[in-house]
Amino acid sequence: MQISIVSEAFDPQAQIAVFAAGRADASALVSFVGLGRAATDGTHVQQLRIDQYPGFTEKEIARLAGEVSVRCDCPDLLVVHRVGIIAPGEAIVLVAALATHRGNAFEAVRILMDYLKTDAPLWKQEAGQEGARWIEPRVEDRERRTALEKELV
Amino acid sequence: MLKLVFLGKLSDVAPAGLADIEPPRDVRTLFDLVKWLSSEEPVLGRAMAATTTRLIVNQSVTHDHSLPLTDGDEIAFLPPMSGG
Repeated sequence: MQISIVSEAFDPQAQIAVFAAGRADASALVSFVGLGRAATDGTHVQQLRIDQYPGFTEKEIARLAGEVSVRCDCPDLLVVHRVGIIAPGEAIVLVAALATHRGNAFEAVRILMDYLKTDAPLWKQEAGQEGARWIEPRVEDRERRTALEKELV
Repeated sequence: MLKLVFLGKLSDVAPAGLADIEPPRDVRTLFDLVKWLSSEEPVLGRAMAATTTRLIVNQSVTHDHSLPLTDGDEIAFLPPMSGG
């Protein structure tokens, strides 16, 4: 399991290549990349700022990834999360999973992203022409997280 | 001396001078600290009261506000998280 919090732009493809290098034992590689958006609800976004709590954020993301690796029987997980100032189109988060079977890898990436959307100690602030605003947790994400817990019971 | 960390929207209203503080001697617990901060910094106090604020002591989640504070403790105030 590899967890990184980075403050500079990163290349998801390069990260995936390193993660999967020499892993002839794995027959499935699934990845998801979240990108900075250019607009939210029709309002132009100039930049996104993501704050972390150094140390705690990485520890919590590692804990979430650990839970998912056990639940999905998929120990090989990669999370790279950007913090700081992010321009639209830049990668915010990369989650990747290597597994023997594709089902485990798909599930691990899907569930870990849902976990990160609600439980990762990160604070986002979008800035546009109308100023900056902190992003509150979305109801849809919380509902998806609750549904996920029921699904996994 | 305590180290205080304010995240998210709380960082907008927390004065920079709160990062390292020596609270009064009668501030012995987390509960005391929150009460004292709310009294000293009403804007911050209202911001903390207006939302669910989690307290993290020395990088560990705590729900026990009667926890005694120790010199050198780092206390973080976490408003609701935006997620990844």
